[in-house]
Amino acid sequence: MATTALDHAAPRYRTRSALYDWLTTTDHKKIGIMYVINSFIFFFIGGLLALGVRAELAQPGLQFMDESTYNQLFTMHASAMLFLFVIPMLAGFGNYAVPLMIGAPDMAFPRINALSFWMLPLGGILICSGFLVGGGAAQSGWTEYPPLSGAAFNPGSGTDLWLMAVTLIGTSSILGAVNFIATIFKMRAPGMTLFRMPIMVWTMLVTSVLVLLATPVLTSGLMMLFIDRNYGGGFFDPASGGVVVLWQNIFWFYSHPAVYIMILPAMGIISEVLPVFSRKPLFGYKAFIFATAAIGALGFSVWAHHMFTTGQVFLPFFSLMTFLIAVPTGVKMFNWIATMYKGQLTFQTPLIYSLGFLTMFLIGGINGAFHAAVPVDFALHDTYYVVAHIHYVLFGGSVFAVFAGIFYWFPKMTGRMLNETLGKVQFVLLFIGFNLTFFPMHQLGLSGMPRRIADYSSSAGWTDLNLVATIGGFIIAIGLLPFLFNVFISLRNGKPAGDDPWEANTLEWATTSPPPPYNFDHLPEIRSERPVFDARHGAATGH
Amino acid sequence: MTTPRRSGPSPALVLLISAVATAAVFLGILVLQVPAGTPAADYPSQISDQLANVWASFFPPVATTEQGRRTHDLYTLVFIIAAFVFILVEGLIVFAVVRYRRKPTDTELPPQIHGNNALEILWTAIPTAIVALLFVLSWQTLNVVDAREASPGEVRIQATAARFQWTFQYISSDDNQTVVYDQLTPEMVVPAGRTVHLALYSPDVIHAFYVPQFLFKRDVVPGKLNVFDFNVDPAMVPPGPEGATFKGQCAELCGAQHWAMQFTVRALEPKEFDAWLQAQIDAQSAKPSPAASGAPTGVVLELSAKEIAYDKTTLEAPADEPFAIKFSNNDAGVTHNVAIRDASGTEAFTGEIFPGVDSRTYAVPALPAGSYTFLCTVHPNMTGTLTVK
Repeated sequence: MATTALDHAAPRYRTRSALYDWLTTTDHKKIGIMYVINSFIFFFIGGLLALGVRAELAQPGLQFMDESTYNQLFTMHASAMLFLFVIPMLAGFGNYAVPLMIGAPDMAFPRINALSFWMLPLGGILICSGFLVGGGAAQSGWTEYPPLSGAAFNPGSGTDLWLMAVTLIGTSSILGAVNFIATIFKMRAPGMTLFRMPIMVWTMLVTSVLVLLATPVLTSGLMMLFIDRNYGGGFFDPASGGVVVLWQNIFWFYSHPAVYIMILPAMGIISEVLPVFSRKPLFGYKAFIFATAAIGALGFSVWAHHMFTTGQVFLPFFSLMTFLIAVPTGVKMFNWIATMYKGQLTFQTPLIYSLGFLTMFLIGGINGAFHAAVPVDFALHDTYYVVAHIHYVLFGGSVFAVFAGIFYWFPKMTGRMLNETLGKVQFVLLFIGFNLTFFPMHQLGLSGMPRRIADYSSSAGWTDLNLVATIGGFIIAIGLLPFLFNVFISLRNGKPAGDDPWEANTLEWATTSPPPPYNFDHLPEIRSERPVFDARHGAATGH
Repeated sequence: MTTPRRSGPSPALVLLISAVATAAVFLGILVLQVPAGTPAADYPSQISDQLANVWASFFPPVATTEQGRRTHDLYTLVFIIAAFVFILVEGLIVFAVVRYRRKPTDTELPPQIHGNNALEILWTAIPTAIVALLFVLSWQTLNVVDAREASPGEVRIQATAARFQWTFQYISSDDNQTVVYDQLTPEMVVPAGRTVHLALYSPDVIHAFYVPQFLFKRDVVPGKLNVFDFNVDPAMVPPGPEGATFKGQCAELCGAQHWAMQFTVRALEPKEFDAWLQAQIDAQSAKPSPAASGAPTGVVLELSAKEIAYDKTTLEAPADEPFAIKFSNNDAGVTHNVAIRDASGTEAFTGEIFPGVDSRTYAVPALPAGSYTFLCTVHPNMTGTLTVK
């Protein structure tokens, strides 16, 4: 039946050009791929901005730019990486994988799905256009703390463009979240109960709930700041009875859950890859789901740990909650390791990147726990130690997971395998470059180097480690060249993937690569969280 | 149905090479740090010194306040637990990677283990216990570090952080809380051993008072007066009028010249501090209007400041005769001055500090020929060379 309907509809697509087809598509797979491509574009833009920052910091003195330019670079680096790379990249994977994984033909609201994608390039253009206006792009850090981000100290329209762009990107996230939640609750195939859903789907569900609850709060804050800047609102201006720290409460009420928005789907990817390449089920499937939900819930009670030094926070509560959130994260780490225990590991690129995630995210978790101890946070807050921490979480964690996901799903998306050797060369370069860049930042922070400084004295003792970090940064940049080359040659000449090149577990591997419009003409029986595994080995083998 | 896959060239090797290469680069950097010309026999001791430095670099600086020492102890405790967890978990990962590689003979599926409730409860409970312990210990430390008890004889200072400078007002200890002395140079002089009660005030944006050797920072928030107490450890302060100096700088992005917003804390023995403060108060009340320096004679050098930088980096003046510097401060609301130091670092002349937009003409006494540094006392990064010949 379904096949007949597809054939009937097919000729209509062929009458249009491929470009028109992509620009107007409501197919979740094409939209997902466009999310990924768009995110990579901003990854490279954000990376170039970071190279500018690293080049300037390599030696004391201002060699390449003035302070204002420097402030624009790190502000826009963080904004591009967080709002236009990590969050949409993971949403893109979700867009591509979630309907396939639950056996659905598409997202619940395909047109809203297209709308939420197209807001992203628009937001990206808007935010980057700040570089073209007088006064330059936003330059108060991605946190945009008033009064510095107010009209008195940053009169240029770069900050207004930033506020509008982030509002747009946030709206895109909210629409996406509604779509994911509706899709996951209403579009599951027969037999796909909630506790048979792949972990990736669970992490997207929890992430979507976080987005839905947190992002509107940020949006309200962005509106207030916009009003303050342009119409004299006085929300954050003490002279008009406003409260400076109110912005920080609003901002972090979103932006701390946003850290989990940026790491939970990455954990989902890892939880798909590890079982497949260990040939074992995920250890403690339900415990993993509860841990994900616990991180989501606790994630709303830790925001003020970004504000310990403001002197306007109830310290013990936020300290306790921040310590506690380490527990479900630790549970996940042990579950992943136990998944490999007694497994049969094959070291293909998705697993290699996943191991990069495990080893580096562990550091990001541990060095974060230091900050839960409030007095230690007093010492380390706003130093390079924090820069090391966020990059071990978001680069060592999310970015390695993104590449695990790319190498894992590229065969499904395109029908061709990526080159394994190039993938491993890329991994080695990224791994070395990443650690060279960010590990010394721990020591810089401990010795007192504040973040967001354009220059430092040669007598401060920070020169050597900064030079190391800069060299590492350029190694990361070089490490991305094999990836671009890999994608280029694999799209043309890559090994054909077949339906299921990895002997995987979840439903996206039960259809062709790439899948047809509306995904499936038939589905295997769904009797566990690994329907494709069951179909391959017989349900009795594993259960 | 399942065919064994080729597991690639030496599976765990990729990870191993990455780790070894990273370690090798770090070691190479250590070797490069040994000064050139060091005899070969001294290399081992040089390298071990370097290793000791590396080990120390994983810890905050030695604390110079009693509060900071408590924080340092807490850091060390967290570090030990963190190192233990790190080695345990990374060890488990490496063990799994090396031990459970798929062999060509592995055609059967491995045991399909779905979980183990006892184990999962265990690795939930143990971390919970560890973080609960850490929370209690850090809370106890916090109650010491962040304690506020008015003590007799405490010194009250208000630090004013404005873009992009620090000034320090000494407040009288009586209930009137009047400013007895306003220190316009970015140097806070404090007595060791006594409690210093510091209030933080900002007239513009958020700044943060940060002294790495205190292991402490606190934001300076407009519209809200933040306070904290600290006691400099007397053991850290040598006797004499110089005392011990600790560097500090703004730790919250406050605009373009954020990086240049630096200050120092100079700790003195209590009696030296009392003498210093009295001398400053006396000098302040004795000082006539410093702007009235009379009509300048001889050479007049022009210098101006904008955006926390001088417009010139070199000046020339005649030797052995007085000259004048006409200094224009073009930074609205920001204080600058011109001071002159000789090659040994001794201050030969210090001009009055004043806020812009304004100008002063400084009468500089005769200087012997030589090369001098001129700088802004408020922003020590604003410097240039004065050649006297």
